Amino acid sequence: MSMLSYQHFPIYSIMVLFLGAFLIVMLGRNKAVRNILALLAVTASFCFLAALVKPVMINGEIIAYWMGGRAPAGGYAIGIALEVDALSLFFGLLVATAVLVSCIYSIQYMSHDHNVREYYTLFLMLSGGVMGLVLSGDIFNMFIMVEILTFAAVALTAFRNTAKGALEAAFKYLVVGSMGSTCILVGTIMLYAQVHTLNFAQLSALIPGNLNNATKLAFALLFIGFGTKAFIVPFHPLAADAHGAAPASISVLISGVLTKSGIYGIIRLSYFLFQSMGLGTVQFMLVFFGCMSMFICVTMALAQHDFKRLLAFHSISQIGYVLTAVGLCTALGISAGLYHAMNHTLFKGLLFLAAGAVLHQTGTTDLDRLGGLSKKMPWTTVLFLIGAFSISGIPPFNGFASKWMIYQATYEKAVESGNIGFLLVTIIALITSVLTLASFVKVSQSVFFGQLPKEYENVKEVSFGMRFAMCIFALLCVVTGLFPNLVTKYLTEPAANAVFNVTNYINSMMGSGYAESVMGESLPAVQTCTFVEVGCWNPVSWLLVLAIALLAVTLVAVCGKYDQVSENKGAALTDSKYDLFFGGEESVYSQVGGGDLFWGFKHNWRHYFSFMHDLHSGIVNDYALWAVVALALVTVFLQIVL
Amino acid sequence: MILMNYIVAFFLICLGFYTVVTKYNLVKTVIGLSIADYGVNLLIISIGFNPGGTAPIFTWSELNPNSFFVDPIPQALTLTSIVIGACVTAMSLALVIKLEEQYGTLDTREIRRLRG
Repeated sequence: MSMLSYQHFPIYSIMVLFLGAFLIVMLGRNKAVRNILALLAVTASFCFLAALVKPVMINGEIIAYWMGGRAPAGGYAIGIALEVDALSLFFGLLVATAVLVSCIYSIQYMSHDHNVREYYTLFLMLSGGVMGLVLSGDIFNMFIMVEILTFAAVALTAFRNTAKGALEAAFKYLVVGSMGSTCILVGTIMLYAQVHTLNFAQLSALIPGNLNNATKLAFALLFIGFGTKAFIVPFHPLAADAHGAAPASISVLISGVLTKSGIYGIIRLSYFLFQSMGLGTVQFMLVFFGCMSMFICVTMALAQHDFKRLLAFHSISQIGYVLTAVGLCTALGISAGLYHAMNHTLFKGLLFLAAGAVLHQTGTTDLDRLGGLSKKMPWTTVLFLIGAFSISGIPPFNGFASKWMIYQATYEKAVESGNIGFLLVTIIALITSVLTLASFVKVSQSVFFGQLPKEYENVKEVSFGMRFAMCIFALLCVVTGLFPNLVTKYLTEPAANAVFNVTNYINSMMGSGYAESVMGESLPAVQTCTFVEVGCWNPVSWLLVLAIALLAVTLVAVCGKYDQVSENKGAALTDSKYDLFFGGEESVYSQVGGGDLFWGFKHNWRHYFSFMHDLHSGIVNDYALWAVVALALVTVFLQIVL
Repeated sequence: MILMNYIVAFFLICLGFYTVVTKYNLVKTVIGLSIADYGVNLLIISIGFNPGGTAPIFTWSELNPNSFFVDPIPQALTLTSIVIGACVTAMSLALVIKLEEQYGTLDTREIRRLRG
């Protein structure tokens, strides 16, 4: 096997990131050197993974790579393995893309900070940790990577440690995150005690036949452990705190990459390791956590007054969509969930970068103090709107395609299983989407539209490098929204097929025939992913409708002799005779704040909102208690139903 | 005898989590995390233990099917886990020092600027 054979590419793509981190510590005093090193590392990592698309995604190969060539002996996996199937590669590509764009953005965004060398080191450690997690084929190795990424994420959360709440957020994240990691380690070692292997493929072959109380407890521990990494309810306050405090480029990674690693872990755990997704009760568990995350976080977001904190709650709300769709255990459901996971990385990344741009230029993310920035930052406004339309599921942007698939998947599941509960899930998903749109109306009103406060009159547009990074995300949002068929064909369908083909996953690693010999009759049936999308949702036609509507509006505006005097004439602005005239007094600054937009709704729901506000007390003991309670409930539930 | 190890290990983990949940002092929170970690280490090392086994150090010529030794893999895992536990403690203590500087208190009930 030559050094350039694509079999080696997975380990290269992890190695270059860690190597980059190491080299930046040594040589990174010079600004240009560390920027080039970081960009090189992330670009190389991306290229290595992109080169794997053809063999893995299109030809359907699974890359089984034994470190140091230590292949299994006597039916036991001794060495440490990397295993890259379409699911791993799908998440790997998401990680690589988000890291690359975030790195481009960081170059200018972090230019005013101190200790940028340490920033890049931690940045690359975090990226390498997540990359190692999704490409690994060894459960203990996964635990190590989880620890690396948790540490890097905690340190980066506290990076701007003079910012409000940064240290506090980092400490809370460290405490609950460590409890999650401890759960993962205990779960791992309990599986080892039962079947004496740490290889993921071999565990997947042995565990389903060895279900006992200990392995069921291990399932609960691992589920909660990966749940803390995905920040699903009840761990969402950590995400909100961390996002609010971390630099925007790190928020992109925490929401786009860290949460995905948790979702990846849950998929591997429930579909591969325990193969229990056929059970309605386990489906219920995932869908339940998904729906809770969806709804609670979107209502929490409505009540927020900080730009990034609001985005953080939305991030978890969208993760709820992903978990719900994945929990359905249908071909359409998994495709939809993965599609939405990808879209979530893209649009959430875009929104966080836009929030970062606002913070960079104005020095604040407080929604009540901002306003009217669209005149000063037109690029950022347009890019933000693309992200906002995407996350709200407005056609033709990408959120529409994946959300539509999720609605269809939940509805079909209700019809198929005859369970009326799944219909309720569809309704919750729809309501969540409406509330998402509502809160983005609020954000765009209070940040980009309305009146410009006096103090921000000298604000300028962000520099080219930051706009370029945002443009990449925006372009991807539009492209993946306009061509959903290509995305499903080349990305999500191979990944969904991989989820349903556990036998192949086991045999590629352990040698052909291994799964059959170990599992015998209990071997899961190989399913091919087929589904029919209902029509009338073709994004291109929606784009045409939008274009026609825009044309009509323009036409009306032109024909109606729209009066531009008071708007644009430079000289007219200073002349008070063109101002709006009401009663003779001079006009005063009167921005309609974001919090005032939906006052009726908020008033009617005031008991719920104040209850939720009190519940998220900010005391770390409470959050730890939620984690322990969730662990206890899941443990009892799984002991009963498995 | 090995059963006692398991009981103590899980007791330590639960005690650690209990400390984190109920104690309002930041340093005690860190101690709670460490206690849970010690429990995990004890659990791992107990799982690899075979009563009467020798240390797993052999050359190829010495190794035969009758060799009886403790499982070496959990010992390697324990080492990793100890290192990670030390890192958690070091990092959280560093954060505690900084928090004390900024907030002037170690009480978790007063460190809650981010809420709601």
